[in-house]
Amino acid sequence: MKKILLPFVFISLPTLLNAATASTTLEGGFKVGPAIILITILILFVLVGIVFRAKDTTDFYAAGRGISKVGSGMAIASNWMSAASFLGMAALMYGSGYHGLAYVVGWTGGYVLLLILMAGQIRKYGKYTAADFIGDRYYSKSLRAVGAIIAILISISYCVGQFGGIGLMFKWVMGIDYTLAVIIGGAVVLSYTLISGMLGATKNMQIQYVIIIVSFLIPLFILTFKFDYFWLLPQIGYGSVVSDVINGLPVQEAQNLVNSLGHDFAIVPSPEFAMPWDPSTGKTFFQWIAIAFSLMIGTAGLPHVIQRFYVVPKARDARWSVVWGLFFICILYWSAPAYAAFGKILSAHPEVGTLAKDAIVVYTAQLGNIHPLIVGLLAAGGVSAAFSTVSGLLVAGSSAFAHDLYVRVINPDASPKKQLLYARLATILMTIIVTLIALKNFALIGQLVAVAFSLAGCTIFPLFLLGIWWSGSNKAGAIAGLIAGGLVSIVAITYFIAGKSGVSLPAHEFISYWLEAWYFAWFGAPLAIIVHIIVARMTKETPIEIRKFLIEQVHS
Amino acid sequence: MESSQNDYHISFFKPTTDNARRNRNMVLQLVLIWVVAIFGFQITLKILEKPVPEQAYTLFESSWKGIESGFPAPGDLQNAGQAILSVLGKLSIIPEHKEVLDNALSSLAYQLSMQKEDLKSAVSAFEELAASTTVITDEAYLAKKKELIPVLAGLFDLNPMDVRSKIAPLEVKASLMESFDDASREALVDIMGLYLIHNRSVLTDFQFLGFPFHYFYTAVFLLILFVGLCWLYCVRTDMFHKKYGIED
Repeated sequence: MKKILLPFVFISLPTLLNAATASTTLEGGFKVGPAIILITILILFVLVGIVFRAKDTTDFYAAGRGISKVGSGMAIASNWMSAASFLGMAALMYGSGYHGLAYVVGWTGGYVLLLILMAGQIRKYGKYTAADFIGDRYYSKSLRAVGAIIAILISISYCVGQFGGIGLMFKWVMGIDYTLAVIIGGAVVLSYTLISGMLGATKNMQIQYVIIIVSFLIPLFILTFKFDYFWLLPQIGYGSVVSDVINGLPVQEAQNLVNSLGHDFAIVPSPEFAMPWDPSTGKTFFQWIAIAFSLMIGTAGLPHVIQRFYVVPKARDARWSVVWGLFFICILYWSAPAYAAFGKILSAHPEVGTLAKDAIVVYTAQLGNIHPLIVGLLAAGGVSAAFSTVSGLLVAGSSAFAHDLYVRVINPDASPKKQLLYARLATILMTIIVTLIALKNFALIGQLVAVAFSLAGCTIFPLFLLGIWWSGSNKAGAIAGLIAGGLVSIVAITYFIAGKSGVSLPAHEFISYWLEAWYFAWFGAPLAIIVHIIVARMTKETPIEIRKFLIEQVHS
Repeated sequence: MESSQNDYHISFFKPTTDNARRNRNMVLQLVLIWVVAIFGFQITLKILEKPVPEQAYTLFESSWKGIESGFPAPGDLQNAGQAILSVLGKLSIIPEHKEVLDNALSSLAYQLSMQKEDLKSAVSAFEELAASTTVITDEAYLAKKKELIPVLAGLFDLNPMDVRSKIAPLEVKASLMESFDDASREALVDIMGLYLIHNRSVLTDFQFLGFPFHYFYTAVFLLILFVGLCWLYCVRTDMFHKKYGIED
């Protein structure tokens, strides 16, 4: 093996270094160094995926339930840290300042709810998928099918933003058109998911987490060091960058520090970057609260997040894996705002022009004159983040189709082999659908992903919350609640798509503001819960077997 | 949580066993801390906030009165120009607003200049060069820009090293120098207010570890709190399970 690798290293190293010094412009042609890093990482992922590939259905769905607490925490973090976290978070703060922090709070605070209300109980319930739980708890095949369809819709919605991120990074690395970049990215992620399966993905996710977090942190340490801030802990050191943006940084204080285009590291006072719901951002207090709330309850209702609790051996492990998972996630979330703050100063000069917000993390590193190979690693980290999440989502979506729809509803006698085949066919179909939607480039990555959260918050979250904690929750209540939550979701998403297509519907401005696509769960989720409770109280009681199971197994 | 083994009813809010009661109380305590920490703080921030103008806005407001009176002093025109450049130096300006601001700035530069035609031709020449330059590091482009910076800085009474001086050549347009209509004039006041007045309070002005306090609280502290709450829940649950011999 060494004999094969050594010549490759000697041949490729000078190529890498030359290529790196050549790719110094923000946009432009094919960047060889970053491309080699990206391809190497993807090959590494596929190889590890092959080594740990799924051998049967149990492996494919739940990774053999043999993952440790810390390992599972890393898998949770890797599964969670998507293009929305890696690229989208900084983009939201770069574009709308303090408003973007609603996403940081929403995407982390939800884990507290998930842990104290659900994690252990979900593991004790002992099902494979969210639809499995819904079908069993609400003793209804139809609800299982509806649950599966919702899980698929959520996965598709979530994947759209990820594919957008993959497309942007492929576009940056290859210097190609966005459309082509999305198509190539989609093909690569599909191949990866199909080969590795769930067991491979779980093992990979720990490696992916390390790659994602290292690639995200290295440029940040360099930026804080280079621009003379407290670099030992950039997550705190960037506080002074925020203050410099607010108060302005005169050229005289820049001490010859310049960005890669030669502009001074200076900025006029820009308090709008950090002041709450600043009028110039067009964002309001209500929107901040609605986004944070919707993302938090959405977190506790996302099928691919819930599904991760099935892969730990015990309920205790499920609980502790949340603590570890959240800590690992926070390392990235503490760091992301720093990119936005640095990006604000480094791109302050009008000559920099308008940058694609979703790629601001990479542009910031470029403008900070960081070595192109490290910028390439950063871009590869962004792709890895999207990959790790997309693979989890495609598995969740395909499981929902093959396991919950096909086996449980359509063909109960299907062999495990056939089940696996259908799961893979569903993966292919979902990838095609997601690619087609991603090409439309409807909104920022973070916003597109937030749609999935609101959808989960309006539909799955109430079913799990009430299903676990109230034996009075029954089939009729679940159906009524789903209809209420579903209707709100349909209205919000219809208005969003109509708006993007230039069609004005009745009361468009009103609905678009109060039920915007990325936060309609603030209304839909409580409504679904209330309707669920009212209808459940008026209809036939939950069967004794279910109630007995809840007490003896879930809350024992 | 179970009322009895006979009817098998559970409800989070009506626990009937010690285990269930303890769990409910712990969950409620944690949820209360969670809610107050997240939403309580933001509501406090909202209650305490006051619209506070930037120094540039105060400067603009006083000088604009003079300009609107029809007999502006050169200082008024310069102060207004400085304030407008303070807005143009910000990122994320709506294109329509930028157009009005560029128009106002160009018009002020024209009014302030003693050699109006010279200024117009110098700006025009730079614009032409900028349009034909594809790389911003082009030497001719940089030289022309370097020439124009002190000229415009002098007009607006700015230090040539000021950030605003460096962006002035990119914002002053020859075609916008001689006209500034009433509609734009009216819009300008609102635009300046939009970009230069911010919601501030003691929570935003107090510094902590280099951050404005509210920013530190939301971006850093809340995340620490979330991990802490999760850790606390797990530790207390483990302790309780050990004490009562409960196994998962």
